[in-house]
Amino acid sequence: MLKDIKISNKQAIYININMVIATGWLSAPAIIAEKAKQDAWISLLTAILLSIPIAWITSRLSSLYPGKTLIEYLEDILGLWPGKILAFFYLLWFIHITSIMFREYSEFLTDVFMPETPLVVFPVVATLVIAYAVTKGLEVLARTLEVFFPWIILSILVLFLLLIPEMDINRLLPVFETNAVDIFKGSLVPMGWMTEIFTFAMFIPFLNKPQQSLKVTIASTILVGLNFLLHVAGSLLVFGASISSMMYPVLNAARLISVSKFIQRPEPIIMAIWIAGGLIKIAVFYFVIVFGMAQWLRLKDYRPLVLPVGVILIALSVIVANNTIDISIFLAHVWPFYSLLLFQFGIPVMLLMIALIKRKILPKS
Amino acid sequence: MAIIGVLFAFSIIIWLQAPSLVQKKMWRELVVFSVLLLIGMIISIPQALGMQVPSPNDLIVTLFKPFAEWMKQ
Repeated sequence: MLKDIKISNKQAIYININMVIATGWLSAPAIIAEKAKQDAWISLLTAILLSIPIAWITSRLSSLYPGKTLIEYLEDILGLWPGKILAFFYLLWFIHITSIMFREYSEFLTDVFMPETPLVVFPVVATLVIAYAVTKGLEVLARTLEVFFPWIILSILVLFLLLIPEMDINRLLPVFETNAVDIFKGSLVPMGWMTEIFTFAMFIPFLNKPQQSLKVTIASTILVGLNFLLHVAGSLLVFGASISSMMYPVLNAARLISVSKFIQRPEPIIMAIWIAGGLIKIAVFYFVIVFGMAQWLRLKDYRPLVLPVGVILIALSVIVANNTIDISIFLAHVWPFYSLLLFQFGIPVMLLMIALIKRKILPKS
Repeated sequence: MAIIGVLFAFSIIIWLQAPSLVQKKMWRELVVFSVLLLIGMIISIPQALGMQVPSPNDLIVTLFKPFAEWMKQ
């Protein structure tokens, strides 16, 4: 089940970048600016610096247990039963965050483009496509992303080039008006997104050169950070600190684009990036869930689990929150601690410490 | 009405997956498949009938309340 899948470093970097930015880029600038005001870009730089250690831990853990995914090395590090129990919580967590992604994905589409369509339609239609892709495996997802990714990045760059006439550097002033605590609070939110890189621990064994995983994780983290910086700084330069009261600042900025009354309102580009990136992001996590579950229960094949997990994800995405505001309050106030204290920061640090101590002690005894 | 669609979807999924699992004698996979599908039914059928189902977010929000308070300040 494992050995027939191989992805290249480039594909891995694409997956990692898309895995983090695809759902974050529209709403994250507003959530960061809510705390850090016009210093949101400083928060983001802090977040990049603080996320790099996690990128290092992700790759270090996999190099201590070569060829094993997160679910497998949990058992090696903690012993059979504690490992199984923690792996169970990781799977639950993956299911939970994937259902939140599904909800964000469909909320944006109903909010902005198709207000008359019932919410449940989007996850159902998306699952039909994604489930098929997941059945075909990670390699197919990686290649699909290889086709779309350059277009996603190109579209983002074009949007920002077109916005340059609307930008004003004075909107970033005064610098450091907010205090350090608020800037730090602002950096926790993008960190919650950027440390999603830890999910890469499920793919490192699929790399065709796993010994280069450190390069891949560090490069992905920095590129993700730069991408976020583009969105945060871009929307700040256009609107100033008032983005904190917006739902999707990048979308609002795009609506301002008007180049000699010829190129106007390029929102369909935003929708296209959102759908392409969002679907592949969800597909990657969906794959992590079914594949992890198959490894956790020592099954021969993960494919029979794809459709039932899809049903669970659709059903959860509908009940997970009442409305868009619920989701963004959750993402702003609870999500950073939920992900950082536990699954994306706390537990990985603890695992690495136990693994290194075990390494030191075991050969002697 | 929604319930008919949901039940139809579940029948399609069983029809697509179960026979091939039985044929290949993948009993372990069949058990996991059934358990997951059952969980899916438990979450989705009450929704289709218009009942209120508690959100997993509620639990997480309660657990992380002190941090959320600090974040809101």
